[in-house]
Amino acid sequence: MKYTIRRIWMLVVTMLIVSFMTFLAFELVSGDPAQTMLGTEATPEQLAALRHELGLDQPFFARYFRWLGGFFTGDLGSSYIYRQGVWGLIAPKLSLTLLLALISFILITVISIPLGVWSYRFVGGPFDWLRTTFNQLCMAVPPFFVGILLCWIFGIILHLFTPGDFPALRSDPGGALRHLLFASICLCIPRIAMTVRMMRSTVIGEMEKAYVRTAISRGNDRRQVLTRHVLKNSLTSTVTFLGQTMAELVGGSIVVEQVFGIPGLGRFLVSSISNRDYPVVQAIVVLLAFWVVLAGTIADLINQRVDPRLRLGGGAK
Amino acid sequence: MKKHTMAILLSLLLALALLAGCGGSGSTTATPAPGTNNQTPATQAPVNTGRRATNEIAIGVAQDFDSLDPHHMTAAGTKEVLFNVYEGLVKPTADGRIVPAVASEVSASEDGLTYTLKLRAGVKFHDGSAVTMDDVVYSLNRRMSGEDAAAYLKALDIISEVTTEGDTLTLTLSEPSGEFLAYLMNVYVIPAANADPEGKPIGTGPYKVASRAAQDSLVLERFADYWGEGGKLDKVTFKILENAESLVLGLQSGALDLVSHMTSDQTTQLSAQSFRIEQGSMNLVQALYLNNARAPFDDVRVRQALCYATNKQGMIDLAFDGFGIPLGTSMFPSFGKYYDESLTDYYEYDPARARELLAEAGYPDGIDVTITVPSNYTPHVNTAQVLAEQYKAANIRATIQPVEWNTWLRDVYNGRDFQATITGLTSDNMTARKLLERFGSTIDNNFCNYSNPEYDEILAKAVSAIDDAEQTAYYRQLERILTETAANVYLQDMADLVAVRSGLKGLEFYPLYVLDVSTLEWE
Repeated sequence: MKYTIRRIWMLVVTMLIVSFMTFLAFELVSGDPAQTMLGTEATPEQLAALRHELGLDQPFFARYFRWLGGFFTGDLGSSYIYRQGVWGLIAPKLSLTLLLALISFILITVISIPLGVWSYRFVGGPFDWLRTTFNQLCMAVPPFFVGILLCWIFGIILHLFTPGDFPALRSDPGGALRHLLFASICLCIPRIAMTVRMMRSTVIGEMEKAYVRTAISRGNDRRQVLTRHVLKNSLTSTVTFLGQTMAELVGGSIVVEQVFGIPGLGRFLVSSISNRDYPVVQAIVVLLAFWVVLAGTIADLINQRVDPRLRLGGGAK
Repeated sequence: MKKHTMAILLSLLLALALLAGCGGSGSTTATPAPGTNNQTPATQAPVNTGRRATNEIAIGVAQDFDSLDPHHMTAAGTKEVLFNVYEGLVKPTADGRIVPAVASEVSASEDGLTYTLKLRAGVKFHDGSAVTMDDVVYSLNRRMSGEDAAAYLKALDIISEVTTEGDTLTLTLSEPSGEFLAYLMNVYVIPAANADPEGKPIGTGPYKVASRAAQDSLVLERFADYWGEGGKLDKVTFKILENAESLVLGLQSGALDLVSHMTSDQTTQLSAQSFRIEQGSMNLVQALYLNNARAPFDDVRVRQALCYATNKQGMIDLAFDGFGIPLGTSMFPSFGKYYDESLTDYYEYDPARARELLAEAGYPDGIDVTITVPSNYTPHVNTAQVLAEQYKAANIRATIQPVEWNTWLRDVYNGRDFQATITGLTSDNMTARKLLERFGSTIDNNFCNYSNPEYDEILAKAVSAIDDAEQTAYYRQLERILTETAANVYLQDMADLVAVRSGLKGLEFYPLYVLDVSTLEWE
């Protein structure tokens, strides 16, 4: 209970800080939304009138607290550019980005954990250098490049999906999911490589510990030790790592959404920043912050179930 | 051990099979009938029979629309598309004329002070209601009154009186203006009863807005009750793909049928069997615009030195693969009679002459120049890079400073705080005036701070001239002054390369930045 309260408290504080930082960043960065909306032919009077209409002529803190007040009463404000409620604009995009992150997360978990344990077998073997090189390569190639490559191979040559034409989730869920699947492959590759490497080094570290040596000297099979004890003990760091991955996936989706033409949150964030559409940016950034804290919390909760020591430690604090 | 390896391998295989299966079942719906593209190699985009059969097309655009309210839109990319949705009392044609639209007759008095317009009978809005004189007056007032700051159009200040009688609208001007109709073009007629022109866009054009998804797409449908000939395609979808690679992939994959404003590099990635590249011009004056009020560019010799140091054709060849028309003044060929071609080669490329001029002006060691460019416009950035390289031969050391568009607007265009910048200036109402008036010393958007009493004098005469020949002569004089005083380093009218899917025809280029979809049709 104490833990839950502390977590919620942390969530609120994080979101407050993040929203304030975003507000501040826009205050410091040049350019203003009225200018973007009115373009090159705007007269100073027009600019002043529009700034007043949008409330931009008010002092910084007045604007921030007005936004904050709206946020806590469930009103995210309305977009300067689209002149409609922010929530209505981002809700359909949010679901796509979450779906993309979720599919990627499942792929990462399902592929990298067995692969990581399996790759332990090659340690010191003749093919270890090959595995290491391949792993490094997967981590190093930019998602942008991989995305174009995937679009070209699976979209243009094999016709498995149509790059540039994302089907609506409601009318063609199968098509949309297929499109998302290829995008998540692009998003996954470097993360899988990282997770595999992390898994491998954790297993190596565990296998060198005294209890493993004891277990083996008592006549246990190496593989039995690996599955019965080592894996369980490696789990906490893996879960923590996957929690971070979950948080990062949403951020990583920006580039992938652009390449695959998915109308998600990441793309919208980028265009809203260049349009100086503050209410939209503010809402998306706070959502992302929420997501990051949530992923961390879930990882913590799982770890506590897995490892009772953490539960005790958490309670004592 | 072995069993485990086998199990992992098997599950991987299963995953692959699932993947392939899922792809396979879907491909029957996603790709056209196999018979049509049996002969085409796999790497080529299939003709998308799906859209052809339903008489629709998809067009890729690089940015979302800034506003669907025609009186609020400012981005060129928005005007380009909404041209199909909204009309004024008069509208432009592809050959550069201004013809009656929502009005059926337009006449001007001999002194150019009174315009009489007759409302066309039977014009309907997209919601089915008839266009009334009230709607016309409402639209006019919305742009004139200044109550709605974003909709205010300064050029309409010359209207001193608006009177209506039945279906006749009379506009009285406070001073004669030969270009008044061009400005009237921007008074798009919208219904007075519509409280939300942004969220519920209603116009009178050949296409109506069917749906819009922010940062995703805009769907237009043919308006069956259009007063004129109307569109041929039933549905036109504009897909927003801000990533240039995605636009090319979209064409190749069959997701898109037409993309404008491509680079020659991108067009070479498309197969000639599936696409045809049509070349128009962007109708803009790309130049290295100089801050004439700031040293060293307050000295005409330094400005001329820059002109001599610039190899326009060389720049076009290098940065644009030779596509583009070199310019020598603030006017482009689409303007026909106003365009003075002889000015293009006024300054022949001559770096030695440039160094001499610099020395004369008191800079024997050359000068340092900072070129500010809006970083989102790759062509301008590329141009800056080529110029910086060319200028080395003339002892001009150029530094390129890329800035975000918003910063550019604030600092350079409105703040006039810059030394030199590269951009393209357009005339969104088809008048030569728009391109030349901005160099008048008292004009609001004279961001180059060009100040020349002789220029101001002729400009005043040109603007108030009613006789066309006389006005044309004045405008040509202005162009010559700009060139002779080297107001800016004029570069080119950039080429507009449009990729069009084979089988789609009817693309027309306007002397304006618009994409008319009503003339497009499948063969």
